[in-house]
Formats: sequence, C-alpha cells, structure tokens
Amino acid sequence: MAIAPEMGSRMNLLNPSKQKNLSKQKSLNSKQESLSVQMQKWGGPPGLRLTPWSACSGLAKTLGTLTILALFSLTAAQADTWYVTIAGLGGEPEYEVRFAGWATDLDKSLRAIPGAQVNTYSGKQATKETLRKAFAEFTTKVKPDDNFAVILIGHGTFDNSEYKFNIPGPDLSATELAGWLDKIPATRQLVVNTTSAAGASISALQKANRTIIAATRNGTEKNATLFARYFVEAFRDPGADTDKNETLSALEAFKYADQKTVKFFETQKRLATEHAVMEDTGKGEAVRAPSAENGKGLAAARFPLMSLGNVQKFSAEKQKLVEQKQEFEGQIDKLKYEKAATPVDEYRKRLAQLLVQLAKIQEELEK
Amino acid sequence: MRFLTAALLFLSSCNYAATPPVRGPVATCEDHRKHGRREQATACYNKLVESKDAALIAEGFWGLKNYKAANDLFRKAVDAKPKDPEIRVRWGRMYLEHFQKSDAADLFAEALEINKDYAPAHLGLALVAADSFESKAVQQANEALKLDPTLVEAQELLARLALDEGNEILAGEEAARAEKLDPESLDALAIEATVFMLNDRDPAQFIDKILKINPTYGKAWSIAAHFFVINRRYEEGIKLYRKAIELDPDLLEAKSELAVNLMRLGHDVEAKKLLEECYEREYKNAATVNTLTLLDSYKNFEKYTTPATDIRLHKKESALLLLYFQPELERAIATYEKKYKMKLPGPVRLEVYPDHDDFAVRTMGLPGLGALGVTFGSVVAMDSPSGRKPGTFHWASTLWHELDHVFVLTATHHRVDRWFAEGMAMHEETANNPEWGDRFSVEGITAIRDKKLLPIATLNSGFVRPKYPAQVSVSYFQAGKICDYINERWGFDKLLEMMNGFNEKLTTEQIVEKKLGMKPEDFDKEFLAWLDKQVGKTVKNFEEWRGKLKQTVTLFKEKKYDEVIKQALAIQDLYPEYVEAGNTYEMLADSYLAKNDKESAITELNKYAKIGGRDREVLKKLGKLLEEKGNKKEAAAVYDRINYFYPMQDEDLHRKLGELWLEQNNNAGAVREFTAAVNSKPVDAAASWYNLARAQRASGNTAAAKESLVSALETAPGFRPAQKLLLELTDK
Repeated sequence: MAIAPEMGSRMNLLNPSKQKNLSKQKSLNSKQESLSVQMQKWGGPPGLRLTPWSACSGLAKTLGTLTILALFSLTAAQADTWYVTIAGLGGEPEYEVRFAGWATDLDKSLRAIPGAQVNTYSGKQATKETLRKAFAEFTTKVKPDDNFAVILIGHGTFDNSEYKFNIPGPDLSATELAGWLDKIPATRQLVVNTTSAAGASISALQKANRTIIAATRNGTEKNATLFARYFVEAFRDPGADTDKNETLSALEAFKYADQKTVKFFETQKRLATEHAVMEDTGKGEAVRAPSAENGKGLAAARFPLMSLGNVQKFSAEKQKLVEQKQEFEGQIDKLKYEKAATPVDEYRKRLAQLLVQLAKIQEELEK
Repeated sequence: MRFLTAALLFLSSCNYAATPPVRGPVATCEDHRKHGRREQATACYNKLVESKDAALIAEGFWGLKNYKAANDLFRKAVDAKPKDPEIRVRWGRMYLEHFQKSDAADLFAEALEINKDYAPAHLGLALVAADSFESKAVQQANEALKLDPTLVEAQELLARLALDEGNEILAGEEAARAEKLDPESLDALAIEATVFMLNDRDPAQFIDKILKINPTYGKAWSIAAHFFVINRRYEEGIKLYRKAIELDPDLLEAKSELAVNLMRLGHDVEAKKLLEECYEREYKNAATVNTLTLLDSYKNFEKYTTPATDIRLHKKESALLLLYFQPELERAIATYEKKYKMKLPGPVRLEVYPDHDDFAVRTMGLPGLGALGVTFGSVVAMDSPSGRKPGTFHWASTLWHELDHVFVLTATHHRVDRWFAEGMAMHEETANNPEWGDRFSVEGITAIRDKKLLPIATLNSGFVRPKYPAQVSVSYFQAGKICDYINERWGFDKLLEMMNGFNEKLTTEQIVEKKLGMKPEDFDKEFLAWLDKQVGKTVKNFEEWRGKLKQTVTLFKEKKYDEVIKQALAIQDLYPEYVEAGNTYEMLADSYLAKNDKESAITELNKYAKIGGRDREVLKKLGKLLEEKGNKKEAAAVYDRINYFYPMQDEDLHRKLGELWLEQNNNAGAVREFTAAVNSKPVDAAASWYNLARAQRASGNTAAAKESLVSALETAPGFRPAQKLLLELTDK
C-alpha cells in the first residue's frame, strides 16, 4: 500500500508528496515480445538469403535470426561441440547433493547427443589441478571450427575484486578460467556460470566470440541459485526449442532457464535473489533481455547446444525447392519486421498466405 | 474512525480550564471554533502565535493548520519543559489530526512515563486504539475517565465505541453521560442523532440542538454517515456525507470519505474529483492518497461487460483470468438467483487486484474486512490469485462468498447484522462445493476448547472489535457454522426468513425468537451441542493429536514408513480437516509410494483433495498417479481443482489438462485450457498455439484454429506439426 503522507518525523518535517507510481514488476511477457520482434530486426535486406557456407564466412549478421539458426544447425553437424561441466563444492550436504545431481543430469543429457565431446568434473575430482590439466589437453584436441562450452555449477564468491568458483582445494578464479579458455582454439565459445555471484565473473571472461551466461547480474547476489536447475532442464524439454528448428541454442536455453527462474520466484511470492544476464559481443554490459536494441543475443542464438533432429540432405533437383523455401522465409521475416507498421488484419492475412506457401514447399521437400 | 481525531478538537470550553489538555487561551479559540465563529477563531489563533510561550505559539500555528511551524514550536516547547506531559499530549493530538498515529502514540506514552495518571494521555492512547479498531480503546477511555471523571472527550469516545459495536442502547447511555458533563457536547448529540437515523427515526431534536450550538457543524452528518457506512448502508452514508459538505464545504474529511464511498459503489469520476480537491487542499490522509493512487492505476485494468457482469482485470493477467472468472461469476449469479428467489437490480462489478496493496486500499476503514475480498453494494473487490502464495487463497470460494453478500445486502437493503451476512457467505462457500471454504482451524479448535465462542446475540462484536487476535476469524467460523446448523435443522428457507427478519428491522435476538421460535440462549445451547457432534472429537483430542503428529513427522523424516503408516492412520480421524504442513495424507501417500503401493497413495491423496487440500504440487502428484493408472477422467478433475485456487504461472498444468480433456472429447474444456496455456507466458509459445489449434479444430472452429496456427508459425515458421495442420485446414 502506498504510505500515507506524513508531516515528517519529529526531527524533520517534510512536505508530503503524492505517490502516483507504485513500483510494479515489469511483465516478463513484454520483454519476450520485444525480444521476439527485435530479433527480426537483425534481418538484412528483404529477400536476401545466403547459403550455409556463406553464412559461415562471416556474413551471418545480415541474416534473419531464424535463418541463422537453421543454417547453424547444419554447420553444427560438421563441427564437434565440447562440453565441460564442473560441479563445485556444495559446502553443505543439501547443496552437495543438489549440485552433483544437476551435473549428473546434464552429463546424461549431453552424452545422448551424437558426437558430443562430454567432460564432467564433479566432487573431489573437480580440483584446480585436474581442471588445468584437462584444459591443457583440450587445447590440443579442440579444432577452430568446434564449439566449446563450459558450464559451472555450484557456489561462487566475490570479494569486491575477484570472482572465485568454489572447488575442492584452491578456488578457481574467473581470470584463471579466462586464461585457460583463451588457449582453446575453438572460435565459438560459451561459458554458463550458474553459481552465486556469477555476474562478477563476466568482465574477466568477456571476449569476442565468447558467449557468457551468468545466473546473477553481479557479485552481490550471493544466495545459492536455481538457474542451473532450469538450464539443465532445457536439455530435456523439447519446448525449450522455441523456434522449432530442432536445435537448442544457447540463447534459447538462457531464455528458458531465466523464464523458469523468474516464474519460480513469482509463484513463491519471494523476492528474487538472482537475475540472470548474458553477454555475447565481447564488450559492454551484460543484459537481462538480449535484443537488437542492446545488440546482444546474436552469437548466443548461433551457438548450437544440442541438435534435436536429423539434418536433412536434399538431392540436386530439390535444391530449387530449398531456395524457394528460403525465399519465403525471407519474406516472412520481412513481414514480421514490418509488423508494427502494418494494419493487424492485413499483417495476419499476408502472414497466413506466406506460411501456407512455406508449409507446402516443406511438404514437397519431404516427399 | 478518522473523523473522531478532528472532531474531538471541537470540545466544550467549559471543561478546558478544569481538565487540561487545552489551556485557557487555547480554550477561547476552540470555543469560537466549536460555535462556528470561524473568523474569531482565526483571529484568536493568530493572537496565540504572537505569544511568547512556545507551547501557545505551537497551538496557534496548529489552529491555523500550519503544521510544520506548529511541529517546530512543539519541539521547542518540549525541550523547554521536558517534564510537562500536557505539551506532549497536545503535540500528540496534532499528530493524530495529521494522520500520524504512531508518532502520536509515542508522545502519549512519553507523557505517561512522566505521569502515569495523566488522563489526557490515556485518552490519546484510546483515540489511537479506536482509530485502529482495537478493543483496548474502551479500556484506555475508561482509565482516562477514572482518572478524570470530567473528561468529556473520553465519555464521547465511549459512546462512539459502543455504537461501533452496534450497541445502540449503551451508545445512547454513554452519550447521555457526556451531555451531563457538557450539555453542548456536539459529538454526543451527533451519536444520539445517529442512533435515531439508523432506526429510521427523525433526529431533529438532536440536530436542531447541534445547529443551535454551531450552525455549520457538518460533522454531525459525517459522524452519522460513518455509522451508515460501517453498517454497509453505503447509499445512505453517501447522502449523509453530502449533507455534511453542504453544511460545511470546508469539511475535507467528509469529502474524502464521500469520495472513498462513491468509489466503492463504482462512481469513479466524482470520487476522483473530490479526492483531487482534498489533495490540493493539503488533506492527505492515507485514504485520500492511496485511493487516488488506486484510481490512477485503473488505466492498467481491462473491462469486460455482459448484461449481468462488469469485470475489471489487470492487463497483465486479464486474458488468463477471464477464462475462469467470467463463467464462475455467471454460474454463481444464476445459482443465487434461484436460492434467494430474486434478481439483482443491475450488473455485478467485480474488480480483481493482483497487487494486494491496491486491494487493501479498497477495504480501508472497515474493521475486520479486506483479507481476501470485500463487497460494497453490487461492487465486489478481491485479491487476484496471483496476489497470494499458491494454496493460501481459493479465489472461487472467495468469489462465491462475496457474491453472496451482494444478494444478502440487496435483499435486506443493507440492513443486516454482520454475523448473519458473513455466516451466510461462509455457508454458501461449502454449500456450493464441500472442498471449498475454510478448513476447521487450530484457532477454531482453541476457541471452542476455551469456550470463547460468543452468544448469537453478541456475535457481531466478534467482527467489529475483536478482543483477541483470532476472534475475527473465529467469528467467521462460528457464523458459518450457525448458518450450516440452521440450514441442516430447518432448511434454507428458514435462513431466508431470518434474512427477511433483518429487512423487517428486527434485531438478532428478535429474529431468533420469532423465526426460530426459541430464546437466543436456548439456541446457543442447541447450536453448541450440534457443533460438539461435528467437531467435538477434534477439540477433545487436539493435544493428543498434536503430540502424535509430531512423532509421526519425526518417523517420516527417519523414513520409518511402516511406523508412519501405522501412526498416521491412527490419528487421522482425530483431526481429519488438517491439510496443512505435515498432514497425515501426504505423509501416508509418500510412505505408500516408498513401498511402491500406488493404490493406497492414491487413496490418501484423494482424501486430501476431497477434504480441501490446496498444495498444487501434491494435487499434481495425485493427478500423475491417476494418469499412470489410466483414470484420466479423475486425473483431469484433480488438475481442474487447481484452477479454482491458482490458475497462474503454470502452462504445464493447462497443457496437461487440455490434453486430457481433448482425449475425453471435452473440446470446450480443452480450448479453455490451451487458451490458458497460451496466456501463461509459455516458454514454448509455438507449441501452445498449436495445441489450442488442435482443440479448436476438434470443437469445429476451423477459422479460430487457423488463426492459432498462424500464431504458432509466426513464432516458429518451420514448426512441422503446425504446418501440416494448417495445410489440412486450408485444403478444407
């Protein structure tokens, strides 16, 4: 309830002021809608479609996001994805069990991905020395075209100067981890830091072509987090693949985990003690809601965490259909980009027509 | 009770010299004001400001409404005379007038530290307590009178407190005592006039007297208005506030109250205008400021109307809640129309607040109300399920409760005792669905055990001025049980007869005698005997149950499941309505599951659900077990239960229920649930739209299905199942 104006304390008399605006929680939905719309704005000139190979050549930024994801689901098949999961110390039995459980669940999901290079370190095994050696070995095995993902599960601390991940023996600092990652040849890297105080690790880890997801927005959010639970769940829930391109991207997993975490606190009527953020440009602040406006999310959308389906290979005669399909996808992206400026009825009518055409082509492709 | 704080300033001067707080020079000013000589009063206060005594200057500024300067001067006065309790009390009275109860109470307490027998300080504490509807108001006022039998304000306050409790006879007696102390006691006369008005008698003898003393004493009408409002006679209360303002256009307190009550009845435009005037003129009490804030927030609400309903839902949840609130409100109206054999004169306005603080603004000034919902005439305001933790609030039960008030208030023209209105509403909650309503609580058990239930003749006081913290909730329970008892013994028509008794202006005692044919004390005896049969076993064995439950919880934590099963089954019947944390049903179900006995687990969880358990995770567990067993219809019913207390933030629930109903050819239900999933901010929006399209198609609404598919594919253009269905429907 807004507080009744008072004439002031007995020491200081203040003028009452009308409280017009009670703070209201911002609708998550609105953020998502914004993201959904803004993502389309990354699309290049209407109708422009590039082949998967040209997308790899660095022109991807001119593509619509949806197309990019489709293309990378293809490129992902040609490169390996490395997953390094580290579950740190729990400190208390409850957290030991929780962290080890999440790491085990994630390991299980990852090992089900064909060709995935899965490395999981948990409990006593996850010492700095063991990890140092493992990362040294990765530098010799990982190829530049590979994707390299590190997932930290556990407690983190921040002493106002440096973030540290709590593991048996000496803790692992963000700077040390960054140093190890810098030596990994994979140009596309992802760090998912799900620990408390994770936000404090971003500045040390930040680098071009490295996406960083943190469970907290800074080092002062020190409570044990829930983000990891939902991030792990994203690998098991087909619904996390929101654009249905059969690839779970880092962006989709981030959004999934964030949304579930927010809902948890809202439902429990508890003050949220963690606010996940992400940064994928190598510069600037991490953000809660990646969008074209803040320039974040593109690299995360391109990072394929898991493929949910088989990559289709088309005969030469069907290549024309593939081109037509891409043409329609481009038109749909263009229309969506123009949504705000188009009367609703007209927008829906044109969208329906294009979607029917796209569906028909897809049907032909599958014959 | 806000008007008292200011009203009490208008006291008879004849007592001031003998009884501080008001000093001689101040008394002269107050006497001018009391008699409506405003110019002289202003001149008098201005003269006080020129005094050399800090306390008198403070009084002068206070009289001129310059609170800031008065505050500074009172502080100086206290510094100069730290051992003078009178200055602190006067300072406190100014705070009270300025809506700062806490600061006022501190100063009264400080005065009592200086002199524990200082009557005006006790009176100050009585006023603070009265403003919060605390029962210690009477105690403090009596203490003040004991210390100073000439303290007319305390006597006036007692009159008012008696009327707050609906004790008109005592109120009249207390007012008469005040008049003996001061024949010009305006507030005492106003109380007597109010008693007459509440009973449709001409108050002229009192009003004429008041106006002779002060021709502009609009406050007399505003005092009366307050009592009409707390008796839920809003329309009449509004008329009286208008009279108050007519007599004294500067009576901002009455304007603010008028606005609040206009808003309660849905007259927002006039309310806002009045509140803005109050605000601009520096009348900024909590009601004014918060109600203005609330009015500002109305832009965030969506309005949905039908001939019988006018529903206001917050934009952020309107699409979801409308799915459930609209049909439930209409079902409740139809049910009550049959039961009460009447039609409402107009649509019911239902306001649902996701922010409990906004809702609380709606309930301000009403004692014991506002926990979950509140009714003003045909306007119902209530919490949204999103405003409370899941499982702690049953919105549908609350809706039926409040709507029952609309019918009872309409049928009785708002002339109904609080206990009866609440009792009927409580009765209807479980009459509609035994799983709804409140469970028999520990507070109820304790009250019965300690013989704290009130006689029916005085049950109203349990709502208005509770004497112990849980008395309001216990009174709700008791009133509900009384109506259950009458319904069971004499039938619902007898309840209608009693309701009409209030309409005939009979008192509760008269109604019991005339309609039930027995003396109220005999009714009490028979009711208690009936209640004992209902819950006596629980009351009698409560301590044993509590001790053994504790042991069972320990056994459960130790995973000694066989022992848990043995002990939990042994104590379950001692308190079957206990479904809160550590209840036997959950422990038994989990123990059975640990032993892989799913059938017994289902039995226990079914009992939990049917008795009114509202932990959605527990209910979901039951739903899942039933699904696994193949009892899909029962599983759907379990999931649907959750919708009636927390349909929010759970796309998974709506999806599951939608799938089950689609499978069972309940296509309309499936459409509702998949629509709910779409409106639950789903992570997987494309799949949610696709599911909705499937249900719409099954219900024959191809056009809607196609639209939903377009929405699905807008999010995920390559979503194959949606593409296939779109082509199928397009080809048709």
